Amino acid sequence: MAVAARSGKKRLRSLLQGINVRKYIEARGGLFARGSIDPIFFTLLVALVVVGLAMLYSATYVYAYYYENSSTYYLKKQLFAVVLGFILMFAVSHINYRILTHVAAVAGTLVSWVLIGIALLMPDYNGTRRYIYGVPIVGQFQPSDVAKFALILTLAAILGENHDKIASKKPLQGRLAKLVNRICRRPVINESFLVIVPAGIILLVYAGLVALQSHLSGTVLMLLIGIVLLVLSEARWGWFALGGIGGGAAVFAAAKLGLLKSYMQERVTAWLDKDYDPYGKRWQINNALNAVGSGGFFGKGFSRSTMKHLYVSEPQNDMIFSIVVEELGVFGAACIILLFVLMIWRGVSIAIKSRDRYGALVVMGVVFQVGLQMILNILVATDSLPNTGISLPFFSYGGTAILVLLVEMGVVLSVSRTANVRKRL
Amino acid sequence: MAERRRRKKPEAGVGEITAHERMRPTSKAGARGVVLFLIVAAAALIGCVGRIANLSLIHGEEYRQKAERQQLSVTTLDASRGTIYDANMNVLAQSASVWMCFVNPSKITDKNRADVLDVLCDCLDLDRETLITELDENSKLGYYKIKGKIEYAEKTALLDRVREIRKEKHNDIDSVIFVDPDTKRYYPGGTLASNVLGFTGVDGDGLYGIESYYEKILRGTSGRIVTARDGVQFEMENAYEVTYEAQQGTDLVLTLNSELQTILRSALEDAYHETQAKKVYGIIQDTKTGAILAVSGLPDFDPNDPYTVQYPELETYFATYGTAEEKADPHVAAQYEQWKAKAIADFYFPGSVYKVFLVAGALEEGVIDENTGYHCTGTITVGPRTIKDYYTTGHGDETPCTLLVNSCNCFSVNVGLQMGTELYYKYFQGFGFTDRTGIDMSGEGTPAVNVTYHDPAVSFTTSDLASASFGQSIAVTPLQVVTAVSALGNGGKLMQPYIVSKQIDGDGNVLSYTEPVVKRQVVSEKTADTVRGWMTQVVSDGTGKNARPAGYSVAGKTGTSEKLGSGDGVYIASFAGFAPADDPRISVVIVIDEPRGDEYSGGAIAAPVAREVFEKALNYLGVEPSYSEKELQEMSVPMEDLIGGTVSTVRERLEGAGYTVRVVGDGAAVSAQVPEAGRQIPKNGVVVLYSQGYTEAEQVAVPDFTGMTVSQASKEAAAAGVNLKISGNSSGDGSFVVYKQDVDAGEMIDAGTTVAVAFRTVDGVHD
Repeated sequence: MAVAARSGKKRLRSLLQGINVRKYIEARGGLFARGSIDPIFFTLLVALVVVGLAMLYSATYVYAYYYENSSTYYLKKQLFAVVLGFILMFAVSHINYRILTHVAAVAGTLVSWVLIGIALLMPDYNGTRRYIYGVPIVGQFQPSDVAKFALILTLAAILGENHDKIASKKPLQGRLAKLVNRICRRPVINESFLVIVPAGIILLVYAGLVALQSHLSGTVLMLLIGIVLLVLSEARWGWFALGGIGGGAAVFAAAKLGLLKSYMQERVTAWLDKDYDPYGKRWQINNALNAVGSGGFFGKGFSRSTMKHLYVSEPQNDMIFSIVVEELGVFGAACIILLFVLMIWRGVSIAIKSRDRYGALVVMGVVFQVGLQMILNILVATDSLPNTGISLPFFSYGGTAILVLLVEMGVVLSVSRTANVRKRL
Repeated sequence: MAERRRRKKPEAGVGEITAHERMRPTSKAGARGVVLFLIVAAAALIGCVGRIANLSLIHGEEYRQKAERQQLSVTTLDASRGTIYDANMNVLAQSASVWMCFVNPSKITDKNRADVLDVLCDCLDLDRETLITELDENSKLGYYKIKGKIEYAEKTALLDRVREIRKEKHNDIDSVIFVDPDTKRYYPGGTLASNVLGFTGVDGDGLYGIESYYEKILRGTSGRIVTARDGVQFEMENAYEVTYEAQQGTDLVLTLNSELQTILRSALEDAYHETQAKKVYGIIQDTKTGAILAVSGLPDFDPNDPYTVQYPELETYFATYGTAEEKADPHVAAQYEQWKAKAIADFYFPGSVYKVFLVAGALEEGVIDENTGYHCTGTITVGPRTIKDYYTTGHGDETPCTLLVNSCNCFSVNVGLQMGTELYYKYFQGFGFTDRTGIDMSGEGTPAVNVTYHDPAVSFTTSDLASASFGQSIAVTPLQVVTAVSALGNGGKLMQPYIVSKQIDGDGNVLSYTEPVVKRQVVSEKTADTVRGWMTQVVSDGTGKNARPAGYSVAGKTGTSEKLGSGDGVYIASFAGFAPADDPRISVVIVIDEPRGDEYSGGAIAAPVAREVFEKALNYLGVEPSYSEKELQEMSVPMEDLIGGTVSTVRERLEGAGYTVRVVGDGAAVSAQVPEAGRQIPKNGVVVLYSQGYTEAEQVAVPDFTGMTVSQASKEAAAAGVNLKISGNSSGDGSFVVYKQDVDAGEMIDAGTTVAVAFRTVDGVHD
């Protein structure tokens, strides 16, 4: 036993020597990021956080007072998460993102899959298992928030570090590959398979796990993030055609086999039939529409919403934007949407000037995630899409969500330090 | 720092892309990023902003209104409804404070749910299953009404329970269950004056009768609080609030007298059951002012519980004889029928009662005089029709007086034809039969030409005239008849009937007072007095004999009409008249619709009801009776106190005075007596003396007096050991016999107890 243990230790030590952590870090430019953060991106970020907090308080104080006996209930918890998030954000922004590449991908994937696994073991809430309950400090916790970030890091690592293979048309040498290539008389099965197929499988596992949680909007968002990253990694269009056909067939098969759950069907019914169950399934959306419609061009003024007086249920979550429109009007809403758009543009700029593909993909993954979530949330709040639980970044209440979001922002800022956008654009 | 950083700019390391590889907008990846950005930016700025602008600017008004409708709330402050009093200030209808219970379903939690259900079900007597469904359906609301009209005790018990549970379990049950003030209308008399009063519906609105007619005055003006409310129906903080105070309802004092109403209604109720009629109506009116003193139409209802059918017979009637619609739902048909103020709403053929108005008109116009003669053969031919009298042998030589006394159809037709349609119509209209009387009650029937009467300007044939002369083919309401009869009793003045004498406020100040209204002088006082004299003879000698109570003179007229279109043998029996005949104070009409017995004539079944009403009502009103010799003999006297006297002495003295004496026990002194001292006993009645040694009162069986004359009944009573209280006309010949007794034959009662028997005749009362 003792001999076996000793030889095992020896083997591990030699392995670690082989990796040589110091050398790895040095080769990737050191542990810390140098340069200054992009001030424009940072300003836009702070603006969104401040407006988001203000609107969260305005939308929720009635609801919080009625249900939690404290009008600042949601504001306080969110503010705590924001302060913590800013600290983490600055810390992350100082770390050289390039040393995260492999570690973050593997660790993030493992952690987020395990967390989703734990959530799947938790008691069911309204037919979904999206949360882990009883977490110290935060109380409840949504692993898919972490998983979105982990997915971005993982796909960016795989796709960014293997760009030459993605572009390569060198045929594979396996027996089956040779056969197919000979039949097609073209290198159909080439080196890009070695990157795209594992990336696709990882994406499908992520999406599949979230789907197991009965979290439809999360699943859709995962797939959209994956598609965005694949597009940006210059994957050939044929892959998207293949994915489109496969996905369409899967949805069709699921519908045929009756795998679509009844709550999904009911949501679609409630969306199509505007008179459906006005005091049940359509209560929240009808009141949200009344709120949006009552806004007018300049709105009723900050804090002057009447629909937040317990008409729009859970105004802290997905429907917060309806209160925003009621109070700030079309003008205020357009300004906020513009802030988001500017932030995405600045993110894209940072990515373009990024020193490597990995950084570029992470930054664009993050800002497009924010953009997609914003668009989907507003379309749901205006009854343009069926009501799926999708939150509005920076505005919706949710401790872990804002925490993870700010850490993501920290990564973007870290990339911006070396990208040095100011100089080049 | 910045300088150093710039200097330390790193050289390309592992995995880092070289300068030419970097993504630029021109590079493939950079271009894809820009395109994606443009797509997202377009979706956000065009799609999202456009959608918001569409909702908020183009359809904004629609949503704003929806939101406002949801948020503005009007709370009604109910004005307390006015009280209704009878003429003696007895309460007939009063609103009392009660409570209503509501809950805030959104505050029901798993912790307090079971307690909430327990408390509500136990204290308010609710069905648990129904309650659970209701609460589940409204679980999002903050306000849901559970039960109204909760009495004080129930409300107190409920709140005590809530407080107790709150103290024990701290489960916020007191933020779920609440009570608010509410009102409820009470009718202390129950069925007594239901047809007059009507009732109030669930929302407190007056339905039928006075409650409906005086709705606005009784209701007052309810106040309002306009507020903005939040999604769970609580007041929105900082929202505006406007209050309009409530104005209390006005109280009404009726001319209706509860005592007279009781007399009338109980007489009608007896008749309703005896004759198994479809309906019976009666009205007592002040002959001189037209004020309504009592009005009732059976079957009626209990305004405290208006939706229950009070008389199942009515439902059976509709199920058996109703139209197809009524047969389909006899319960609903019965509900509507019982709510209707039938005595003012229903039309009927007055039959021979109408002859008094015909004769009065003819006399006024000089078509006939007191001595006009006519020979009745029992039939009269009008065109192709032959009209018969009830006594087909004919009445022989008659005067206008005997026309009424005999209720002669032939002479009536003769008089009617002499008058012609114009004159007939003049008095038909004059006595008020072409218009509503204008009484201040809801639901009065509206006369209509060609439906309820004939107008010569429209169509009035000779054949119609012949029928109309004896009260067929013309329809009138009991209220019209009693008002017209009053005109003959008060010297020819047609009064406007009314039922509210004054309106008073909560402090008793009179706000308005109803003055009697003379609509017109229909006939001269002389004519009216002449007809009144003849009507007196109708009751003393003619078909109205059964209407005369002992000690009072009554003037009136009987009527029996055939209901057309309802099959054979369907009649309406009626009597209308007033008393005392020389100075009338009250007018009475009694109508029995579709009696189902051997007797169906007004003289046989309606007149005895009128007699009972007259006897009790005049007595109540303090009209001094004057008895005939024979009546005095049959009168009851108060029993003297015999206890303590020697049995033999007392016995001797009583027997000497004409009493029948029974002795129970073998003691020397009287220890108990029946009737007790002070009770009424006929002058030749039975006295039972008890002396020491008796154990229990002697029981005797009540004989069946039905069909016996006064002397037969008296003998039978003495033999059986009971006393008789005689009511009804017993002064006449041997044709007057007992037709009802208040204790059923065969029942065992204490010897010496008084049994009331009523007499009537069925001879010479048909018309």
